[in-house]
Amino acid sequence: MSDSDSNPNPLENPFKSLSLNESQSIVANEAVERSANGDSVNGIASEEEEENTVGLIRAAEAQVDESSSSGVAWRENSQYEAEDFAPSSPSSSGYAGERGSSTGTSAGPIEEVGNDGIVRADSFSNAGAESAAPWVPGKRHLDEDDASISWRKRKKHFFVLSHSGKPIYSRYGDEHKLAGFSATLQAIISFVQNGGDRVKFVRAGKHQVIFLVKGPIYLVCISCTEEPYEALRGQLELIYGQMLLILTKSVNRCFEKNPKFDMTPLLGGTDAVFSSLIHSFSWNPATFLHAYTCLPLAYSTRQAAGAILQDVADSGVLFAILMCKHKVISLVGAQKASLHPDDMLLLANFVLSSESFRTSESFSPICLPRFNAMAFLYAYVHYLDVDTYLMLLTTSSDAFFHLKDCRTRIEVVLLKSNVLSEVQRSMLDGGLHVEDLPVDPSLRLGSACPHLRQDRIAPGSPNRFREVNVGIGGPSGLWHFIYRSIFLDQYVSSEFSAPLNSSNQQKRLYRAYQKLYASMHDRGSGPHKTQFRRDENYVLLCWITQDFELYAAFDPLADKALAIKTCNQVCQWVRDLENEIFLLGASPFSW
Amino acid sequence: MGCSSSLPDRNNGRLGVLSSENSGVADSKNLRVKLVLLGDSGVGKSCIVLRFVRGQFDPTSKVTVGASFLSQTIALQDSTTIKFEIWDTAGQERYAALAPLYYRGAAVAVVVYDITSPDSFNKAQYWVKELQKHGSPDIVMALVGNKADLQNNREVPVQDAVEYAEKNGMFFIETSAKTADNINELFEEIAKRLPRVSSS
Ligand SMILES: Nc1nc2c(ncn2[C@@H]2O[C@H](COP(=O)(O)OP(=O)(O)O)[C@@H](O)[C@H]2O)c(=O)[nH]1
Ligand SMILES: [Mg+2]
Repeated sequence: MSDSDSNPNPLENPFKSLSLNESQSIVANEAVERSANGDSVNGIASEEEEENTVGLIRAAEAQVDESSSSGVAWRENSQYEAEDFAPSSPSSSGYAGERGSSTGTSAGPIEEVGNDGIVRADSFSNAGAESAAPWVPGKRHLDEDDASISWRKRKKHFFVLSHSGKPIYSRYGDEHKLAGFSATLQAIISFVQNGGDRVKFVRAGKHQVIFLVKGPIYLVCISCTEEPYEALRGQLELIYGQMLLILTKSVNRCFEKNPKFDMTPLLGGTDAVFSSLIHSFSWNPATFLHAYTCLPLAYSTRQAAGAILQDVADSGVLFAILMCKHKVISLVGAQKASLHPDDMLLLANFVLSSESFRTSESFSPICLPRFNAMAFLYAYVHYLDVDTYLMLLTTSSDAFFHLKDCRTRIEVVLLKSNVLSEVQRSMLDGGLHVEDLPVDPSLRLGSACPHLRQDRIAPGSPNRFREVNVGIGGPSGLWHFIYRSIFLDQYVSSEFSAPLNSSNQQKRLYRAYQKLYASMHDRGSGPHKTQFRRDENYVLLCWITQDFELYAAFDPLADKALAIKTCNQVCQWVRDLENEIFLLGASPFSW
Repeated sequence: MGCSSSLPDRNNGRLGVLSSENSGVADSKNLRVKLVLLGDSGVGKSCIVLRFVRGQFDPTSKVTVGASFLSQTIALQDSTTIKFEIWDTAGQERYAALAPLYYRGAAVAVVVYDITSPDSFNKAQYWVKELQKHGSPDIVMALVGNKADLQNNREVPVQDAVEYAEKNGMFFIETSAKTADNINELFEEIAKRLPRVSSS
């Protein structure tokens, strides 16, 4: 971590000049330029630049100089990872050309191989997919700090620090060893803030640096994943929300009393919560759709669950939520209480990533930041089976035994009405499969007879149907879709199937959706209603109305007219199935 | 080796374990006792409880969040039964202010430290003081030095703990959740020390 005035390439390094109190205007300009010109962030880029970029990267790489590395010096030449990208096909795996006018394409450049950032040799999820070890939460690479090459090569860093520059959280490496780096980030943020500018975004070569200031807490993302600014900022917001869920906003008072307050002990034992949240940024659409998703269930089954939850809510429970992994079975709020989908996401992440909830019933203080960021609620959590868990939230710290009784009542009803076995069946069957999309309207059986796979296939042979279509996808080359109901704050996403088999392909599609979402919701360029994009990976189609948003991915050779027609069929299909795939009628959300 | 140094199969143990819920008002033969475990994170509180309640030891660490609730009923030789309603607290700093939520009204507090960690022994003393200030006045307190199987790494001398416990009117025992050593003895000893008259 020596001083690094010897940077060979000062011009290409705005970040560096920042840290030295000189040429401050660069930051300010960058930030202003960004906010004024949003489309360079989400623009739909041309696809032509990749090859040059690879060349540039290669050239830059040749000059890697590892000796000069101040924490803040994001020297471009040491950051490139071109070598790490699948060497067999450099032309389709290069990075986007950030030096050109366009920022990335929706194609190859957005891939971030491995959950873990380093492309090269990580054991986590490589393209082999099926055989890859399941992702395990928890912090990795604790031995790293900002002087490690491996640390600096990580593609996506998240930091949380205090306004006095004390580290609070780092995705990689040990917070305590990153004190110097943290202090530098703090210096940059307060420097710009004092100048009256709010630094939000800096581009340093390939890297985007995104800042989010929340009172005494600063959040920073440094990423070369080419995700849009809005998406990364949304991720920082969620990390902050997760922190509030654990501590409430009253943690700010500690900083009022003592600006140099060290917050890390307060987050003791929560690494898995944050790593699992960050992991979900690359697979869970709820993180950018701000909507939740339900486990598909027969209408009467979900009704039975909802009725008993309602019963319990009437007895003084604020929220009663029954979930299976990340999917909602049913949920009920006390009168006038509304639950934000982001709070649900953070709560589910907290429970799912904390192993101790599986061991026994528990009663823990938690805060729902969108509901009331200042106060703790008390959560009774109990697993009813391996994946299904019940959360009962209350404002009363004395309510444990009451909630425990409620749970017993709920459990009896769920068992009696077979809800738990239906849940397991639905887990096995999965959700919507594009191959099942009814093509010819005359073949549709009508909404009286829903098209969920589970209703069409005899139990015991769950895969017979699917085998016919393996490798083809749905009609007209439909590969995947996400349908979000605006009114319900819920979405439904089709299951991944061939050819989107590997976790990398899935992650890439997810990132493409994310980009599409950002561009559709970009305030600067007015509301978009539809968008059609074709690149070498997919045809992407987005359609937004007052009622829903549809995101669909097709084979790159798909016919445009057919794709549009298929999207209409998807919407019809979803409407026909809405009784099974959505939680209807009991929406506890504010409207 | 204690007389019950390893009794993973609870049904063959000295303690008869009853599974029925006697959640009604306790009578003099059937006591219900609220017990709270306190101590630094990582000293083995959850392992002690799981050893006592389920006869298991899982070496993979599962950080407790908030507090877990478990119960276990034991039968004493005089045919009274005692149902322990156990609050296993997390021990992390952020929950310190919320600890009263769990120890309020507790008849028994088990304060645990790790014999290989002087820090955890200091933390135990903090909890004892806290309980003396804010706990029920007639609370039964036990001081437990856990991980006794790690004799070679011992950093807290037995004598220090004995003296501290005596001074503060606690009873002291060293346990190992890993080998089950003294786990049942801990709870039996607690049972013996419970005031028998008041059971409401
Ligand atoms: N050697 C040894 N390890 C133990 C013992 N009890 C617990 N541990 C280990 O100590 C760690 C923390 O245990 P845990 O019960 O989660 O601690 P808690 O935070 O106090 O609940 C775990 O990795 C356990 O495997 C013991 O008696 N002997
Ligand atoms: Mg524990």
